[in-house]
Amino acid sequence: MPLKHFSTLLILPLAFSPVIYLFGRVAGSLEKKNTGPNISRWLLMGVISGGLYALVRLYPVSMAGEKVRATWGTVSFQFDGISLVLIGSTLILGLLSTLYSGRYLAGETGEEKYYALFSILIGSIICLVSAADLFTLWLCFEIMAVSTYTLVAFHRQNAAALEAGVKYLVQSALGSVLVILGIALVFGERGSLALDTLKASGAQTSGLLAAGGLILIGFGIKAAIVPLHTWLPDAHSQAPSGMSAMLSGVVIAAGLTAMLRALSALGVPASVWGCAFLTLGAINMLVGNLLALRQVEVKRMLAYSSISHIGYLLTGLGFALYLGVINGAEGAFFHLMTHAIMKGLAFLAAGAFLFVLLPHDGSHGPLKIKDLQGAAGKYPLAALTFSIALLALGGLPPLAGFMSKWVIFTAGFIAKDGWMTAAAIFMALNSVLSLAYYAPVINRLYQRESSDLVKAGSKIPASLNIPLVILAISTLLIGLYPAILQPIYQLAGKNLLALFF
Amino acid sequence: MPALLTLCTILVPWLGAVAIWMLGDKRQKTVGPVAVTFSVLAALAALCLYPFATAGVVVSIPMGDAFGSLSFRPDGLAALLTVIATVIGSLAVIFSLDYMKGEHQLPRYYSFILLFIGAMAGLVLSSSLLYLFFFWEITALSSYALISFNNDDPKAVRGGIKALIMTQVGGAGLLAGALALFSATGSFEIDQVLANPVAIPAGLLAFAAFGFLVAAAAKSAQFPFQTWLPDAMEAPTPISALIHAATMVNAGVYLLARFYPAFAEVPGWKTAVIAVGVITAFSAALMAIVAGDIKRVLAYSTVSQLGYMVYAIGLGAVEAAQFHLLSHAIFKALLFLSAGAVIHSVGTRDIFRMGGLGKRMPFTRLAFVIGSLALAGIPVLNGFWSKELILEAGMETGPAWGYILMLAGAGLTALYTLRVTWLVFYGKPREDLHVHPAGKAMKTALLPLVIGSIFSWLLVAFVTRVSANTMPYHHMEAMDITTLVQEVIMNPGTLIALAVILAGAGTWLVSQRVRFFEKSLGWAVHSIQASFGMESINDAITRLAGFAGEKLRITQTGLISWNLLYVVIALILACIYLAVGA
Repeated sequence: MPLKHFSTLLILPLAFSPVIYLFGRVAGSLEKKNTGPNISRWLLMGVISGGLYALVRLYPVSMAGEKVRATWGTVSFQFDGISLVLIGSTLILGLLSTLYSGRYLAGETGEEKYYALFSILIGSIICLVSAADLFTLWLCFEIMAVSTYTLVAFHRQNAAALEAGVKYLVQSALGSVLVILGIALVFGERGSLALDTLKASGAQTSGLLAAGGLILIGFGIKAAIVPLHTWLPDAHSQAPSGMSAMLSGVVIAAGLTAMLRALSALGVPASVWGCAFLTLGAINMLVGNLLALRQVEVKRMLAYSSISHIGYLLTGLGFALYLGVINGAEGAFFHLMTHAIMKGLAFLAAGAFLFVLLPHDGSHGPLKIKDLQGAAGKYPLAALTFSIALLALGGLPPLAGFMSKWVIFTAGFIAKDGWMTAAAIFMALNSVLSLAYYAPVINRLYQRESSDLVKAGSKIPASLNIPLVILAISTLLIGLYPAILQPIYQLAGKNLLALFF
Repeated sequence: MPALLTLCTILVPWLGAVAIWMLGDKRQKTVGPVAVTFSVLAALAALCLYPFATAGVVVSIPMGDAFGSLSFRPDGLAALLTVIATVIGSLAVIFSLDYMKGEHQLPRYYSFILLFIGAMAGLVLSSSLLYLFFFWEITALSSYALISFNNDDPKAVRGGIKALIMTQVGGAGLLAGALALFSATGSFEIDQVLANPVAIPAGLLAFAAFGFLVAAAAKSAQFPFQTWLPDAMEAPTPISALIHAATMVNAGVYLLARFYPAFAEVPGWKTAVIAVGVITAFSAALMAIVAGDIKRVLAYSTVSQLGYMVYAIGLGAVEAAQFHLLSHAIFKALLFLSAGAVIHSVGTRDIFRMGGLGKRMPFTRLAFVIGSLALAGIPVLNGFWSKELILEAGMETGPAWGYILMLAGAGLTALYTLRVTWLVFYGKPREDLHVHPAGKAMKTALLPLVIGSIFSWLLVAFVTRVSANTMPYHHMEAMDITTLVQEVIMNPGTLIALAVILAGAGTWLVSQRVRFFEKSLGWAVHSIQASFGMESINDAITRLAGFAGEKLRITQTGLISWNLLYVVIALILACIYLAVGA
């Protein structure tokens, strides 16, 4: 039975993508305007809900410690705690983001393509985070990348969006090449690509080390590790907001997960990766925060903040791999989930403002922070949810970000290692630094004098508000009672340590 | 019963905050009375809780492996601070009815006050390190939101963000210290640390002790973090009275007092605490002498008085610190609120433009004078007793340099207090200001504080008994009124202190010119007004971060060739690292 649900999860979104496109296209040409995209959207929401149902059925199995394995020929997938975290975040954020995109994209050309690609994106992430051999991992990674190139450049009449898409494509393609070279090296050394066989076999060689470097950098591009992050601010800020939420919330984390899975198979001591992650994490936090400090565009600022949050994840993972502190892995997976919620909320709320303040056709310039001046008077709900997202990202209680960062902090102290303590304190100070760019936005929102754009703005439709409310309430609930997610991130943390030690 | 009351002091204001936010901007008239209702209910709950104070944990909700339990322990110190937070909180809310009349966006104002009151109660009642930090951060959040309540004023926004960032930097010290203690004991329960500090490795204990000192200094605006408090004066005045005088700034003192039994034996810790207290108390008193903004004078005086409490804790006189905390909360709230009545009436905070207001605002003058006398330490007001206790402890157990500076500080306190009172209420009017007397709600809020400033010291027996009974690790002694009176009156130190205080007051009477100190201190004034260079350090750090952010943007070239070059460089570095590291 579990296998059936797992297979459904793997196949459903990918298989339904053409259906979503065809139905949308056909219905759109027969009936009057908007029917086609609506059908596509409802189909996609149905597919995601089906996926969620399968995930809910799989949940008790994976909680019992059982790993479900699906094999077709030489291709195999395995469902464990790490997959659970990533798939859960993807499906939930995907569902809300699809609901949101309906009004957001209404009337644009090629809407049904958006939903079809969205379905591929979700399907590829599900496969990517469950892949049990290196080639499948790479293949799913490529499918994910291809779907996102087009989604980033969805507003293709807009030069900036197109430019962002091309930069993303070029840089990401280079990453893919590096990864496949690395995989080739592994295959040359070991003659196998299955993750568990690889891990069990023999000591490290210089070829495997080189493969490690290639894989680290190749996947590192997707995971936005500094200095490989340069594509991210453009791509995440130019994509349609529903897609920005997905890109920042789960896609970069999926890249990180792919990297972890691949690195775990090389037989290099975990502490080597742990040390690298701690260093890279510190750089990511600092660079992301400093770059965000001077941004004047809302979505660009959020994109830089994602770079710093990848830094927090790397720090947590670094604690876990460097000295085997499980809290680090737990905290990282917890933060991965809360970041998906918080950053998803931030992008969707920013998108809601963008939708009502600027023209709908994607031909407009970016939304500036000063455009939000006084928005709270006219849009109290969006302003409140946006503020909640920003404060949560800044790590203030009683919101989710505080709790997930806390778990990472505990890891930094448990081992009583000077460097780890220093890394944890550095992370705390970075969190403070990030408030220096989140807080002024909130002050802007709650000014009494509103900007001309706000005065002229239209009403925010309910389908945009609903996802905001759901995500904001989740942020608050997790902050007040973090144990809701505890079984999930604990399992993922345990699985990660088992991969490396 | 204590469990229910404990939860009420936190949840009632929080429910009120949510309810008021829901009411929204369209019902500006109703939010005030609703806020008063919720805050008064919370105050009643806290007052009922005080007699039930206990050393045991009354509520404990398990929150998960990495979070310990959400647990509360209303002992003497915690319950007292809860009473202060909720009672002065409700008075500030009542005062706001008049003060904020006609302002916009009132739901946000009242919501955050109520959020703050609940969080402050949670902070002191919490018996878990995590939740101490949790509530600590919520108080910082609400303080930030209220300082920059008037978001259209760039100064208010800057002041709010400055306060947030500086207290958060200190918060990192609390976080680090708390986790160091957690890593040693494996538990988040504070009592576990206090019960057996010897079991904690000395290094970790010292790390936590100094981390907490940094946190306390930032929260209580002590050296070298004192600069945020004067800028926080952009907040509406009831907020200054509640958060930045009577409650939140006490959190640092509370933290040190709470953990004193654990940290007392850490080498150098007590000396460091004493040094922080003395430097702050003395330098802030100097700053108060040359300030020209009525709220800034009071802010420096708050910094200085908090220095006295920190000093007392460094001496081990936790009872004296607790006693002064109570007195100070009452008289400083009184001073701020009456200053608020003045500002609301004349529309300026510049004391050089005021003068002779007393005749036209007699009640406010009475209130301010009582508060001033208590602050200056004139018998028999509450400030006199508690300050004398601290100075006595300093004379008996502290280092001589500390005692002398603190004594001089007491003289300076009398001097600046008299100066501000005189410049505002006495003499001839220097400008033709439009004046109207304080409103009803204002007077209602001021009256209990006037009475408190005169009589609160009579509660000493009750307060110290409750604390002695419920705080097993602090070894406090109950003190009845006669002991207090005897101890203070029979002590030669009291006479010395009174002489210094009178000398300070006399200095003003002799000099009595409007800008006397600004002129006579000459070059030193600028340095004093700039917080002895601490302001420029703050500015330098802010500028450095901004500069780094700006310069780093160069790396974001937007050119694909550069981006790819970064990838290649990163690849080379990664391979070198792996070749060397593995």
